[in-house]
Amino acid sequence: MTMTLICPSDASEVPALARKRPLVLAPFLGRTVLEHALTALADGGVKTVRILASDRPEDIRRIVGRGEAWGMTVDIVPSSERACDGLDATPATEPVLMLDHLAQLPQQPLWRSYRGWYVAQQALLPALARQRVGMREVAPGVFVGLRSQVDTDAKVPGPCWIGDGVRIAARAVIGAGTIIEDGSYIDEGAEIVGSIVGPQTYVGRYTELRNSFAWGKDLLHLDTGSLAEVNDRFLLSEVRIKRNLARGLVNALRGGRARKPIARPDPNAAGLSQAGMRLKPMPGN
Amino acid sequence: MKTQYEAKTLTLSEIPELNILNSAAFRDEARAALKEGLTTLDIDLSQTRLVDSSGLGALIALHKTMCARGGGIRILRPTPVVHQVMELTRLHRVFEIIQG
Repeated sequence: MTMTLICPSDASEVPALARKRPLVLAPFLGRTVLEHALTALADGGVKTVRILASDRPEDIRRIVGRGEAWGMTVDIVPSSERACDGLDATPATEPVLMLDHLAQLPQQPLWRSYRGWYVAQQALLPALARQRVGMREVAPGVFVGLRSQVDTDAKVPGPCWIGDGVRIAARAVIGAGTIIEDGSYIDEGAEIVGSIVGPQTYVGRYTELRNSFAWGKDLLHLDTGSLAEVNDRFLLSEVRIKRNLARGLVNALRGGRARKPIARPDPNAAGLSQAGMRLKPMPGN
Repeated sequence: MKTQYEAKTLTLSEIPELNILNSAAFRDEARAALKEGLTTLDIDLSQTRLVDSSGLGALIALHKTMCARGGGIRILRPTPVVHQVMELTRLHRVFEIIQG
C-alpha cells in the first residue's frame, strides 16, 4: 500500500514556523512533524510513502532521504502551490493524508495557531517521551533525554521535556509545560515556563521565557505571534560547538584528562518530589 | 526624537530604534532635556521596532537618573517586539509599563 502525504504550504496563521524551513519540518518533541508522521505510518505497516511538497522539497529530501530510517520507500514529489497537485496521478484507491495534524491527535490542528502547535506537543509529550530511545521519566512528568546534564541547583518541577544533549545550569528553573529541544543550553538562573526552546539554542543567564518559542535568536510569542530578533548573543542565540579535533587527539594520545563528575538524575534519591527535583552527583562519573 | 513637556512630565516619543548605534546619544539627549522640577519621564516606544541590550541600558541609566531626582520613569505603549525583549531580560518588572 502506498500512502500519500500532503505537506501543507499555507503558513498564513503560523508564518514564523515556515520562515526558515517548510512547515512540516517544524520542531516537534525531538523530531520534526514529518518525521513523527512517518514513524506513525511505519508503525502501521506502511511500506511506501509519496510526499507531495510544494514548499522547499529539497529540504524535505535532506531530512527524509529515501525513507531508509523508517524501513520504507519514500518518494518526494515537488508540486505547485495547490494542495491537490500531484494527486492527479494518485490512484483513487490510495489513502491520502494531509499533514495538518498528527495521526495520534487527529482533533488538534497543528497550523492554525502557534498555541495550537504548542498544545499538540503538550498532549503528545508523555506518549512520545516513552517511545523515545533513552529518554527517562526522572520525576513525575519530567522527561530527560540522553547525555543531558541538569545541575544539582537547578529546579525542574515540570512537567516538561528535556531533550538529548541539553545542559541546564545552576539555579535555572524549568517550569510547567516547558519543552527544551536537543542540544540546547539553559544558562544560570534562566527561568522558562510554558515555552519551547528550539534545538541548539542558548538561553542566557537570568533571562525569562514565558509563553514563547525561542529558537536561535528568534523569540516568538505563542499567543500574539510577535516575532523578535534578539541580537545580543548573551541573551539568546544559537549554540555553537567548537570542536578542536587536534586538541582532542593530543589528549587522547596522552591518556586523556580527568573529567569533573557529571550530575545525573538519581531516580532513587530521597527528596524527589513534584514540587522540585534535586539531583545528586553520581559516583564514578 | 520628539520631546514634549506637560506639567512635571517630560515625554519622549518618535523613537524608531534603541540600539548600540544610538543608545548613548538618546540617553544624553534625554538627560539634557530633563529640566528642574520634572518628576516623571515618559518614554513612548510605540514606534520603536528594534531594541537591544544597549538600548535597554540607556533606559536603565535614565531610570537611575530619575530615581536620584526623586522621580520615576514610565514606558508607554511598547511595541510587541520591545515588550518581548523587556520580558526576556526581566526589565518588565523594573519599569512601569503603560499599555494603551
